[in-house]
Amino acid sequence: MAYVSIEADERLEEGPEGLQFQSFLDSDNRSSEPGVGNVGSRGYIPDRPGKTSFWQVEHYQPYFDIDTLTVLRRCYSTLIPSKSSYLATHLTPADLYGPFWTLTTLIFSLFVFSSLASSISVYLSDPDAASPTDPLEYNFGLLSIAVGLVYSYGLAVPILLWLGLRYLGVGEWSVVETVALWGYGQFVWIPVSLLCVIPFSAARWTFVGIGFALSGFFLVFNIYPVLATADQKAVRLIAILLVLLHAAIALCFKVLFFSYYPTKGDKSG
Amino acid sequence: MQRPEDSLTTPLTSTSQFIQADDDDDLDEEAIPGFAHPTIGSDTPQSAVFDKGKGRATEQLATPTSAAGPARTPTLSGNIGSMPSGVPSSARRTIGGVQVENRFTGVDTLDEPITTTIGRDLLSIYTKLVQVLYPPKGGASREVLRDWDLWGPFVLCLLLGILLSLKAPASQSLGIFTSVVAIISLGSLVVTIQAKLLGGRVSFFQGLCVFGYCVAPLNVAAFVSTFVHLIYVRVPIALAAWAWCVWGKILRTFPAVNFLDGTRIEQQRILLAVYPLLLFYFILAWMIIIQ
Repeated sequence: MAYVSIEADERLEEGPEGLQFQSFLDSDNRSSEPGVGNVGSRGYIPDRPGKTSFWQVEHYQPYFDIDTLTVLRRCYSTLIPSKSSYLATHLTPADLYGPFWTLTTLIFSLFVFSSLASSISVYLSDPDAASPTDPLEYNFGLLSIAVGLVYSYGLAVPILLWLGLRYLGVGEWSVVETVALWGYGQFVWIPVSLLCVIPFSAARWTFVGIGFALSGFFLVFNIYPVLATADQKAVRLIAILLVLLHAAIALCFKVLFFSYYPTKGDKSG
Repeated sequence: MQRPEDSLTTPLTSTSQFIQADDDDDLDEEAIPGFAHPTIGSDTPQSAVFDKGKGRATEQLATPTSAAGPARTPTLSGNIGSMPSGVPSSARRTIGGVQVENRFTGVDTLDEPITTTIGRDLLSIYTKLVQVLYPPKGGASREVLRDWDLWGPFVLCLLLGILLSLKAPASQSLGIFTSVVAIISLGSLVVTIQAKLLGGRVSFFQGLCVFGYCVAPLNVAAFVSTFVHLIYVRVPIALAAWAWCVWGKILRTFPAVNFLDGTRIEQQRILLAVYPLLLFYFILAWMIIIQ
């Protein structure tokens, strides 16, 4: 058996600068990705891999790294008009749990309360004919309409807006922030749809109006600063477009889901 | 002439993999956990022992009881009659200084009648249904749902769709059926994916399976309200079924709430993980109410 002599690594004997103790405690906290802020420090997902591909579930886990109280606070603080920017105060970092489930809850609450309102109005129009054994009247197509309407408004519009602003070179926000802002902004419609069960036309219009005002104010107040950073003044006109779109969606909610009124003696109404 | 055991045993080639056997010779092979269904295991322990693969069958030739000749060996029927189970060490050989053994890893399903196969699957679905419908019974053996399948959820989902669309007006029955199937399938997908997104350590298909099986109480409610039209009866039944579903699902998916650190979802996020369940089961319960 032959031995080959290799040169020994002499750096070890050179002194302390070759091998040193080093603290890695701080560097763990700083290793969170820059795009999603301080997600890594919350520590709900202990062994998240550092770099994941777009198609893996782990890639999206940072956007769901949130706890219950935070989601609730983000939801109800959209109802309170405030001077501070929602993006800066609450969406740090932005999450996707809240927007998605806000929109899904909105779909279901629109359907549930709309069918409740319709059955109440049937009962009120003719209390004698509508015995408890009758099946409640409801229009099932409303569920698919609600799905299409809410998801297209709540997800497609912010993505298109982000793409458009990106094309114009405006805005320093991520698409997740846009979707989160938009999704949380629709939260107000959930209590509005509950209140719209009250079978009076004036009350319903009032509640829909309040909902439109609150969420419209919220969206415009938070999006206008982004639009205002553009060099071209014409970009700010997008805000008017968004308000018109928002009014259209409010009108759609009112007309499609809450147009059942008790009518005396006329069952077809 | 080649000896029959040589022709029947798996030939040892250079690509054969050897796993070193345990040294404890007093190992009881009955106690080795297989992946068979528990009830099947208790019903047919005989066949489970005798179907131990071709290796076991040839070993029996060497025992004195069947030494009368190859004509009497029942290997052709696939059912070796009365082999005593007291020869566990016969499955072990020493090859190249390493003791290896043929270990029983499951029921041989290759040459069983198809009725047995279907019967076992149906029995497995039935067992899981009982577990879901009566959760206290499943408290001890929560592991049964770990052996997931998707047939049961599929059948339950179709059943609920049919039950709900039976009484609907003709113009809406197709839409109701489609919606129920879509809600259950998409809902279970979304709920399972978001449990993973929240950092839960659940298997994907296991989550789908549990979600689907937990629809079973709603099926019961829908069945009852097909015949009972009183709204005063229907609402409590549907709400009770809703609570039942959610309770069963939580009991199985999030044992972390009470017992052990199963899914690794933290306390502050339990509500986030549970909320979609409440939502999806509630919309199904609501459809039963307004049926």
